[in-house]
Amino acid sequence: MGQIITANVATSLYWLGRYIERIEKTLYQVIKAYDKVIDVDKDAGVKLYDNFGIDLKYDTALEFLAVALTGEHSSNMLTLSGFARENAIISRNHLNNASFGEIIALNALFQNTTKAHVIIDYKIIDDAQSLISEIWGEFAKREHKQNNDYFIKLGKLVEEVDFYFRFHAEDEYSEIIVAEIHTILDILSGKTASSTSQSQKQSGTSSDTMSAIYKKIDTIIIE
Amino acid sequence: MLEKETELHKKFWEIYSKQDIKKIKEFQTYMDKFAVNFNLYKDGNFIERSLPFDVIPRIISKQEFSKIEKGLQQRVQALNLFLEDLYTDAKIVKEGIVPQEFVEQASGYLKEFKGFSPSKKIRTHINGIDLVKDTVNDEWVILEDNLRVPSGASYPLSIRDTYRKIYPDFFEQLKIEPIKEYPSFIANAMDYVNCGGINVVLTPGRFNSAYYEHSYLAEQMNAQLVRAHELVVKEKKLYFKNYNGKLIRVGSVYRRLDDDFIDPTFFNPQSLIGVPGIVEAYLAGNVALMNAIGNGVADDKGIYYFVPKMIQYYLSEEPILKNAPTYLPYFAKDKEYIFNNIEKLVIKDVAEAGGYGVLFGHTMTKIQLDDLKKIIEAEPRRFIAQELIEFYDEQCYLDQKLVARKADFRAYVVMGEDIKVWQCGLTRYALEEGNYLVNSSQGGGFKDTWVMEL
Repeated sequence: MGQIITANVATSLYWLGRYIERIEKTLYQVIKAYDKVIDVDKDAGVKLYDNFGIDLKYDTALEFLAVALTGEHSSNMLTLSGFARENAIISRNHLNNASFGEIIALNALFQNTTKAHVIIDYKIIDDAQSLISEIWGEFAKREHKQNNDYFIKLGKLVEEVDFYFRFHAEDEYSEIIVAEIHTILDILSGKTASSTSQSQKQSGTSSDTMSAIYKKIDTIIIE
Repeated sequence: MLEKETELHKKFWEIYSKQDIKKIKEFQTYMDKFAVNFNLYKDGNFIERSLPFDVIPRIISKQEFSKIEKGLQQRVQALNLFLEDLYTDAKIVKEGIVPQEFVEQASGYLKEFKGFSPSKKIRTHINGIDLVKDTVNDEWVILEDNLRVPSGASYPLSIRDTYRKIYPDFFEQLKIEPIKEYPSFIANAMDYVNCGGINVVLTPGRFNSAYYEHSYLAEQMNAQLVRAHELVVKEKKLYFKNYNGKLIRVGSVYRRLDDDFIDPTFFNPQSLIGVPGIVEAYLAGNVALMNAIGNGVADDKGIYYFVPKMIQYYLSEEPILKNAPTYLPYFAKDKEYIFNNIEKLVIKDVAEAGGYGVLFGHTMTKIQLDDLKKIIEAEPRRFIAQELIEFYDEQCYLDQKLVARKADFRAYVVMGEDIKVWQCGLTRYALEEGNYLVNSSQGGGFKDTWVMEL
């Protein structure tokens, strides 16, 4: 029968994986851009956020960090970590206590940046990355993979490939991730992974690839 | 007034004096990090907040708790027999022990369920019995029976876990009863009454005040946490909707919502948090509901008056634990006493809960008391009156100093194949000095309860 889990929890776990991965990937890109903004390319932050459809304005490197992390846009860390927190609360009884606590702490870290006296600098990114490493570490520790772990992993990989496509064209690396996604989707749909994952080789544009993945997810999680 | 210090207290304070008091703040860090919340709705807004917590535990000796335990087992057994009798043969009413009119006027009495007997004839699966320790007679008295959806057990469970990590010395050096088994009491009771299928915890949802507890207990009991629309009834059987669309039979439901909301096709049609058809499945004997539907009659504040009589009637025993002295204006003699002594009594509206509808005579003006008498005269069944119990304070460490606060104690009793009393409970204290209202919904805090021996 496999894992018993509601569609709501499955969806929450999937989105939890996506938001944590999105935060991690965004922070990674922000750090790279921050380094360039200091003395190489003042517009590196503008270019980065252009990929997300966000028009970012700043004068200094520290200002870039502040608007990137806490500015009024849909990719700010408070919003993203708030979504992660909400999904963690909904799926709490399928998470281990440590990973749940780290997710709450991650959101609290960004909540703290809204206080007037808090200076937003590299340290916050460093702390956030440590927490994210602990979150992924806690998920990885679980010895026997159950469906709830697969939903988180699925979200993580879908976000990873989605993020990747914002910066790169399809290539061998994205093919590997997509193949892994299909393997998990096969497991979750009860099919034998080896028999089907080969047939999921990418074709068409990155947009077609993502559409195919989303379509398959819709057939697996039935609300 | 604080309870007389015992050897157990002395041992506690001895270890306490050697601890780093600054580490107390780590408890709040834990509460925040793990979202140990009791949420509130204030002025229409949802407020997510952690329950105020105090680090000084209530200490009860194992010997003293043993008497409480026996008294609670006796009480819950009698209450279960009362409910089963009331909804089947109603002998206790026919024999005039409890007036029929009194039962029928109880808002929790559901005559539609007359003749129905639930799985294993168990109705009072999970019970929260509120007690205080009276300073006059130095004994525990029962204030209230909560036989519908008592909450709160997850808070001491969570905090005990933290306590052991932050201050292990107490647990190394003192003989404190372990408490981790509480979720297994519920899980075993669910298995015992299960009608075939998985166990689920039914929550109203994410924004319920006790959602943390629902989620915590489901995880600890290895049961699925579900909202109403994740269950479906087909051919009088209840099913869990799995993520892949498959239906999985449900045999037992620990429901965390009141009767009125559990099934919109049977009770309140406006309920969005109930499962359509679940009552039909229940009445067909295809699913167990914990607690049973219709229990509200037994934890009605008016019926509380008759619990000692129930113990005598069903068990032929004298109650081990006493009720607080209670008067029913429904009876002429009691009404006369109430009217003559109203300024020193506590008047409770039987329809209210959570510390609402409680009036203290000594705080009211003559005009207010006269008005209250008129209301009681018009609706005698709506009220009970109790002597004001002077109950012990507990030491609390608030605002970096030790202070005394009124505290009650909610004991948890789980009925399955046998009746288990959890060797812990929820000690709730009032935040303000002299306040008698300790309920969480009134802003009260909680502390751990240690059942100890030398």
